Amino acid sequence: MRLAFYLFTALAASFGLPELEAAPPARDAIRIVQLLRSDNVLRRYPDALPSLLRHMNEETTARFDTDPLFIQSLEDEQLLQNPILYINCDEQPNLEFSDGEKQALREYLERGGFLYLDAGIKASFLGSDLGHSYAAWEERPEVKELFSNIFPEKVFVPLQRDHELFRSFYKGLPDNKDLKIQANQKKLPETVLSFVEREKWPQGTYSFVGLRVKERIAVLASPICAMGWGKDEFGAWIPPISFRIRESSEGFNEKLKLASFKGGTYEVKREDGLKDILYSEPGQRPLWVQEPTGKWRIFKYYSGEEISNFAHAFYTRIGANVLMFALTN
Amino acid sequence: MSKLLKGFVFAGLLPLSQAMAWQAPVRVSPNLSVVLLSDENASVVSEANASVAPKPVRSSTQETINQAGLDLRHIEENVRSGAARLLGKYPSPASAAYLTFALDDRIARVRRAAIVSLAELYLNGFYIHEKPLVEKILSKLGDSDVEVRREVSALIPRLSIGLFRSSFEIVEINGRRVARAAPATLRADLLEIARKAFFDPDAIVRQNILKYHYALRLPLSAQVLDRLLSDSDLGVLLTALNRVPSSTPSETVVRRVEKLSRHPDVGVRKKVVSVARDSNRRHPGYRAILRKMTIDEEPAVLSMAAVELARLGEKVDPKVIQAVGDYLLGVAGASTQVMTILYAVSAFGDEAIEIYRELTEHTSSKIRTIAWQRLLTFDNGWGRADVWLPALADRDKTVRRAIVANLNARSRNFDLKTMEQLVSSDFVDVRTFAASSLQSARQNAAEEVAFDLLIDEDTGVRAQTIRALASLRAPGWLKIMSNSLLDEEYVIKRAALDGLLGDPVQGVKTIRKFVSEHPTDSITPLALAELKSRGITQ
Repeated sequence: MRLAFYLFTALAASFGLPELEAAPPARDAIRIVQLLRSDNVLRRYPDALPSLLRHMNEETTARFDTDPLFIQSLEDEQLLQNPILYINCDEQPNLEFSDGEKQALREYLERGGFLYLDAGIKASFLGSDLGHSYAAWEERPEVKELFSNIFPEKVFVPLQRDHELFRSFYKGLPDNKDLKIQANQKKLPETVLSFVEREKWPQGTYSFVGLRVKERIAVLASPICAMGWGKDEFGAWIPPISFRIRESSEGFNEKLKLASFKGGTYEVKREDGLKDILYSEPGQRPLWVQEPTGKWRIFKYYSGEEISNFAHAFYTRIGANVLMFALTN
Repeated sequence: MSKLLKGFVFAGLLPLSQAMAWQAPVRVSPNLSVVLLSDENASVVSEANASVAPKPVRSSTQETINQAGLDLRHIEENVRSGAARLLGKYPSPASAAYLTFALDDRIARVRRAAIVSLAELYLNGFYIHEKPLVEKILSKLGDSDVEVRREVSALIPRLSIGLFRSSFEIVEINGRRVARAAPATLRADLLEIARKAFFDPDAIVRQNILKYHYALRLPLSAQVLDRLLSDSDLGVLLTALNRVPSSTPSETVVRRVEKLSRHPDVGVRKKVVSVARDSNRRHPGYRAILRKMTIDEEPAVLSMAAVELARLGEKVDPKVIQAVGDYLLGVAGASTQVMTILYAVSAFGDEAIEIYRELTEHTSSKIRTIAWQRLLTFDNGWGRADVWLPALADRDKTVRRAIVANLNARSRNFDLKTMEQLVSSDFVDVRTFAASSLQSARQNAAEEVAFDLLIDEDTGVRAQTIRALASLRAPGWLKIMSNSLLDEEYVIKRAALDGLLGDPVQGVKTIRKFVSEHPTDSITPLALAELKSRGITQ
């Protein structure tokens, strides 16, 4: 990983950073720029990014300033002085950017900058509910529109499960040692573990879409991951996270077609490009899903310490991989 | 439970295949009113469309629940677990009753599905108020399957609503039937099950019962707490430490906490500091623990202990204070913990000044901001330009902005030397601050630097200067304003117009002259509108 740090140094050198107005003190840490339109906005997971950066400092030889640099506009001159921009889309009042900001972002990305759009993927059925993550395989419409203005000739492309991003630092799912639990302790309920390993996060992968600029992935978007990064001062994960799991059972293909249902349906793009149809009733979490294969499965919700710990460990590994990918890509 | 009605479905009425899976009758309380929804959501097949293949007809909610209830008695384990899963989607007393019944299934997988569905009912806001049902759920804290126990233990806070509802009982006193409040206590057997859960083989169950024991009105004795404070699982240990400040003070527990102050895990030691701080008024031993922890090998722990002691009014060794300063200087960024320590450094008194002074050079802008603010407050520096001027040379705008915000709220009777330094700053925001300070600066200083600000390369600085000069009515200001109305930048024109409008006599006269001489200028329409709004027409 020391190599990664040197690579970053080289990257920063070739980044074409403009000269500062005043000579800065020697900087020994990478500063992440975070877009925060206003101090008064409701922060989604304010402890998240600093916790992830601390984790990076503890687990890798890359050196991050754990204090993100907040900017209110993409036209802020400080953006061009730092190679990684983080935007939590759920934290923005809206995803509307002025022409000046779009131009600044284009310039930033073309000059070697990297943008991570957390919550840049958001399944339509989630609506205004910000506390959920769902692995859809296309960027949210606002992101699509934004980048169609910035790079009209480019589109976001889903990352394959074997993409190097998922191996840039961590590989696979957390095990008991990572979770700091005893070797014999059941890390997840059986059905949950089986779904997680086979479908939810196989080999520690997740749904990402990327946009290439000058032959490299310059923008990455994913469902919200920041909810899984936060740690309190004693090292405990915050906030609690629960899992949405698909479960099947004898006769569900017939029963769920006929079972009582009063809500609406939503289409969500899958990894294979086909669409799932989600059944959801107002005031309740989604009930079940009709898959394009003709299979019907029910959504079950699991919560608890072990679920939360596992999810946090996973999202932190994903976050670490994104940062390492940004440095070495 | 004995008062519950007989089950409404009898095993004898079921087909043989289903009866084989039968374990116990469904016991539905007579008070459970199962709402018949009269097929309100059943689809209707149109007769007019008889030739078109009919759309599958969805059953009503009641039919779906009843069918799932029947399926819970099916011989096939898969069918039973599927039914249990489905029932979680229909919050209703009947679903709750069926699912509670399914908790007695002999197959763990079905019981798991049932408890997860019960949790889903609660999650969707449906609370079970039937005490017998809730007691049955709680009894599964003693289930043989760890997943069921985990789910039940996580549900405890929600179960307490059904467990401890106020109720009454009829008793006969001297031959008279008297209604009196029934004690809201846990049944003795359930109490025993819950007690045993403190020592469950599974760490998650232990952790949950430790977190939620109060919801069961289950006391946590010093003996039990002491044992859990020596738990091998980190999660249980941290949760047990959380319970210390609210438990009865005990020598055994204090000794155990003292032992934990040497735990290899830093997070545990930090927690010990926090526990010792919160408990220090309840037992003198906790303050002694804090003192010992000021020599901890981990600077973060040492610093936490030191600032807590200082907050309690204790004198802290200068070497320890120095170590706190070194720790803060070395941190990579401003975490919650660092911020807590940073603010608490003030408790060191005069020795804090030096720490804050050093921290104004920190790499983190957040830390520098607070360090500057604290230093200036401590040192009465807000009134001394030589102390705060270096803060406005900080490379980070957020630091400068915070300092300027503080200065704005104070008297800005700046002398020439101060104004010159502000005007010569590399930073636009600092020069803007200088421009806005023209009004309150000493007259000679304002006059001396005003020209420099008027020709500043930044439009915002120039506009601010024009506004300030207009307010000051400095000699020649009318000339400056009328010239500025001809500036290329609209923002400058606008500032000049605003300035002139502030003087109803000379200013307005200048504007009228301008609009008559420059009828096509970009500011003219606005100037005319402003004049008109004041009842002045050309």
